[in-house]
Amino acid sequence: MSQAKVERLLNLIATLLDAPRPVTADELRRRVPGYPDAKTNFRRAFERDKEDLRAMGVPIRIEPVPLSNPPAEGYRIRKDEYYLRDPGLEPDERAALQLAAATVRLDGLAGAGALWKLGGREPAVDRSDELADLPSDPNLAAVFSGVLEHRRLRFAYRGTDRRVDPWRLVFRRGRWYLAGYDHGRGDERIFRLDRVDGPVEVEEEAGAFTRPPEAQRPLQLDQWEIGDEQPVTARVLIDPDAATSAIHSQRPGSASVRVVERRPDGSLVLEMDVTSRYGFRSFLLTFLEHAEVLGPPELRDDVVTWLEAIAAP
Amino acid sequence: VSPSTSRVPADLRLQRLLAILSWCADQDGPTFAEVMDRFDIGASQLRDDLELAAMVGSDSEDIADMPIEVVVDDGRVWVYLHAFQRPLRLTPDEGLALVATGAALQSVPGADPEGPLARALTKLAGVLGVEPDEAIGIDLGLPHGDTFTILRDAVTARRQVELDYYSFGRDEHTHRVVDPWRVFADQGAWYVVGWCHRVDDQRSFRLDRIAEVVPLDTTFDPPAQPPDLGLYHADAGGPRVVLDLEPNARWVAEVHPTESVEDLGEGRLRVTLAVSARPWLERLLLTLGPLATLVHVDDRLGGPETARAAARRVLARYRAGGAVR
Repeated sequence: MSQAKVERLLNLIATLLDAPRPVTADELRRRVPGYPDAKTNFRRAFERDKEDLRAMGVPIRIEPVPLSNPPAEGYRIRKDEYYLRDPGLEPDERAALQLAAATVRLDGLAGAGALWKLGGREPAVDRSDELADLPSDPNLAAVFSGVLEHRRLRFAYRGTDRRVDPWRLVFRRGRWYLAGYDHGRGDERIFRLDRVDGPVEVEEEAGAFTRPPEAQRPLQLDQWEIGDEQPVTARVLIDPDAATSAIHSQRPGSASVRVVERRPDGSLVLEMDVTSRYGFRSFLLTFLEHAEVLGPPELRDDVVTWLEAIAAP
Repeated sequence: VSPSTSRVPADLRLQRLLAILSWCADQDGPTFAEVMDRFDIGASQLRDDLELAAMVGSDSEDIADMPIEVVVDDGRVWVYLHAFQRPLRLTPDEGLALVATGAALQSVPGADPEGPLARALTKLAGVLGVEPDEAIGIDLGLPHGDTFTILRDAVTARRQVELDYYSFGRDEHTHRVVDPWRVFADQGAWYVVGWCHRVDDQRSFRLDRIAEVVPLDTTFDPPAQPPDLGLYHADAGGPRVVLDLEPNARWVAEVHPTESVEDLGEGRLRVTLAVSARPWLERLLLTLGPLATLVHVDDRLGGPETARAAARRVLARYRAGGAVR
């Protein structure tokens, strides 16, 4: 952005912010320095500026100008919508946030801008190595705004158009998930953000739903339980050599997988609550020939059929 | 983004200026140097930006329309504001960036539940209008047990460790002495990167495949340069596989490093992957089944029979056992 543009935008905000009444486009053309005089050129420049400011999060409202005849519309930025409420951060708290932003990287999200708004960098924060890298997602900010402002979301997912009350955004095992109420299905659903097709649309109405208390419970997200299928309990035998990684593949506190037997040779028997055959198979086959479905027979048959199709000449 | 360079993206420059103005107005004449350091801005850029701010509204006949007064004297800055007193509210992605990174760090063992980060997150949640933990949950997926804490302490103390490691790609257990340089999370898994004395080279190890870690008394000197965190360095002469992926298997190209991706139309992709070892490829092919077609595979990985042979090996177990045990 050129110096001239920064200057023009700053003047534009100053004119609109807390203006006593909505300011018409014509008035802006005359009052904000740096706009072209010709009306069509002004329009084009002003539209672009408006878009840039909205992208920055500047809440420009369009309102009717009172007592105007003929009725006219004007622009205004309301103070309460523009200003950040002071969170009252102490220096050590600001430093902690800054350290977190440096230690955990969230790809492509505007951490720097956020820290400036909170008062910039605290001097003398220890430099720290990056500890974790959270991948981003093009829809992350839209989904989060829905969660924060209780706005409904619309998006396409697995070939179906969804309308969802977004309850909670969750990151686990390297992926972002949205937990919410799916109006089409009439039930709670979990969506993988990277499986959402195209952009998420955020509906206008804020406060459109209330988040139920059960939204707080931990997501059930093991791959064999991300599905709608009739639940079955699988029994899986894991050979001694593979036992370590099998144990680690359980989520802490996960109820969907349990070690039910430790055999003298070091092998394990797991019980798993399966609602996705595909997810279960994917888990099982990572052990190659070091694991075996003991039952129930239908699940064992499912795996055998799958493998036979691959083994067929 | 390096905001100190003069080519700061447009909107960032304006946002930073707004933030500088409201912060300075709250202070009692901070030094130029302090503002520069705090907002990561160079001296000439800061001078330009402050001058620009001081000119806002100057075209108006009414002096009251000048919302920003700036006084620079003796290396200090005084700002008086009649508008812009508070910074612009946080956008959803800014709020998310702060809350997500903070919550992530707070979820690591050893984090103080009443420390400054926890307090900051509570205050931020208040500004964003949510309860802490209500809107967002971050789980960096640390494996069970004390592997993480032992390794993190060893990194800090520069002590060598001995690992009992299960190599997933090769499907084998090994013991190795490692100089642990760093512990970090990426793509949902935790790794320790360091010097492996067994192969005399830099290696990354997944924490959830470490069966046992024993800290040793021997110490090491970490490298002057921080390690490159690239997890898998494809060996130029190493084996390759070319796969055609059905639309439902496109994720393979997202989660594994590809050497080339070709769009075949109708959602199908042709990808070339560098493969570390044969068991890795076998797992992928058995999981994908009909969703992937083998176009070309190196003989070192089993050639065109790789998937069939692996499937038969696994099937042999089911035929041997037969009945439910």
